[in-house]
Amino acid sequence: MGFPSAERRRALAAAALGREAGVPGPDPGDGAPLTAVAGEILDVSPHLIIIETVDGEEERLVIAPWATAWRGGDVAPADLPVGGRVILRALRDGRVVERIWGDVTRMTGTIVSIDGRRDLSVELDCGAHRGRRTIVIPYRTTGRLRVRHPQFEPGYLFDAIGIRDEGETRALLPATSQPAYPARSVPSPPPAYAGQQPRISGTATWADAFDEDERGAAYPMLERSDAGCPDAAVSCVGLPYLAIGSLLQVKNLCTTRSANVPIVACGCLAGRFCDRCVECGTSPRGRITELSPSSFVELGGELTKGCFNAQIGLG
Amino acid sequence: MLESQLPVLIVLLVMGTVAKLATVYTGGEPGALSRLGPAVLVPERLQSSALVCCAVGELVLVAGLLLTTHPLFRWGTVLFFALSTYVLMELRRRRPDAGCGCFGEVSSAPVGLRSIGRTLVLTGMALMSVWAPVPGWMAFVNPSWFILAGVAVLAVLSPEIEEAVDRIRYRAPCEQRPAPPEGHTLARLRASGAWRAHRDGLVVAEPYDSWRELCWRFFAFQNQAGDDVVFAVYLSGRRPAVRMAVVSTDSMPEYTPVSA
Repeated sequence: MGFPSAERRRALAAAALGREAGVPGPDPGDGAPLTAVAGEILDVSPHLIIIETVDGEEERLVIAPWATAWRGGDVAPADLPVGGRVILRALRDGRVVERIWGDVTRMTGTIVSIDGRRDLSVELDCGAHRGRRTIVIPYRTTGRLRVRHPQFEPGYLFDAIGIRDEGETRALLPATSQPAYPARSVPSPPPAYAGQQPRISGTATWADAFDEDERGAAYPMLERSDAGCPDAAVSCVGLPYLAIGSLLQVKNLCTTRSANVPIVACGCLAGRFCDRCVECGTSPRGRITELSPSSFVELGGELTKGCFNAQIGLG
Repeated sequence: MLESQLPVLIVLLVMGTVAKLATVYTGGEPGALSRLGPAVLVPERLQSSALVCCAVGELVLVAGLLLTTHPLFRWGTVLFFALSTYVLMELRRRRPDAGCGCFGEVSSAPVGLRSIGRTLVLTGMALMSVWAPVPGWMAFVNPSWFILAGVAVLAVLSPEIEEAVDRIRYRAPCEQRPAPPEGHTLARLRASGAWRAHRDGLVVAEPYDSWRELCWRFFAFQNQAGDDVVFAVYLSGRRPAVRMAVVSTDSMPEYTPVSA
């Protein structure tokens, strides 16, 4: 069996059912679009940043006077190290930078083992496709992380944001309040009523398991046999089944931006989190989608906050 | 009179056994067991053995009650239900979110006063049956009206009945239900008129791609002209709707709806 591109599936499905094939990208009615640019810093000054993008092109971007940067904490944009990887949120066709995240990474997974006395070394199982990774929790952030992860033992979920530095992944901020149940015991969704809701609300997060600069989403409710993902189709929200290639309309309720994002991966880990986002008001329970960093930023999300209250529908 | 409730006890114990075993063997999600009943009180790796043990114990009691008048089985039943009452009270105190698990997965609603009341009534029934002069099968042969009274009291105290009614009334919509296996849907497609009309044009009869979206499963084939032929099969119903379209690999989709 071949694996045609996700767009091809969309075109075929639209043709068979006689509907419009949606177009990925932001909703044009949202006002000034935000652009996410990812790359490696070649040079940076207080007013200008030069980066090399994934395609190998050199981009020169103006840093807005109000721009802020984060790299393990708030820093001045000019203090970012040359050679570091950055994600920028830019205005005006991606020419003016207003927010920079340096070497940011997110560690989401099930705790496999914990070692160490002061600095903790934690091994995480990040799902069937993403494999395992080992992260370090520096001593100074253990308190902050443990207060939001009370069940700090193998089998429970872990979600934190941190930086990659000198080949080491360091967890600095908790990205959520840890669910109280073990990763294998996700609560079942509330009883469904006939007649589907056109929109489903919950929390949308981001993950760095996507290609750099990719626009896409991971969605939990995929058929296991189609996605080749034995842990898919688990969620505490009554989500409809979709496929890799389906177009998801994601709306950020905090900024009222929306975009059509293609499903490109299996969100088997997102489905195990039955948490809420409190970015603006309290969202209903359940992670309904996990976005790539670029899509998350273009929807107005703040990478260090880790989530936004979202509503999804079929694009 | 004293033996009148024996059939009720026997039938309930058998139902409990079957439901518990079904829950263990159909399994469902790993970890689903931990949401069920007193098994949450034991460590995770022992949970399914605990449920199986409980089911086997019930089966032994059933056999004893049905065939003999031996007091061992009768007092055993009293003890079983008295212990159940205690366990449920303990469960309600320690894990207010867990269901009683009395009938396996159906009893996933949190333990309430009704579930506890039911085990109390059952303990009473078992105690009454201790002095019954005949074995259980005799009570089945000569039923009395008191059985109905017992059943009615238990029905009032059973939250599972409401749960079952709700499940029938509010069935999950098709797009949220797991789909039948792909081969099954492919067989449905091959029985349809749309398939017969286009079968001869296909290069191979096996789809090169298949995916499910909402309540439709799509199958993509290649025809001899090198175009894609896509069939969409509705996932519910015995003779589901089938739609198809031929999409040229380089042009805009050509759309020809066919319903079977």
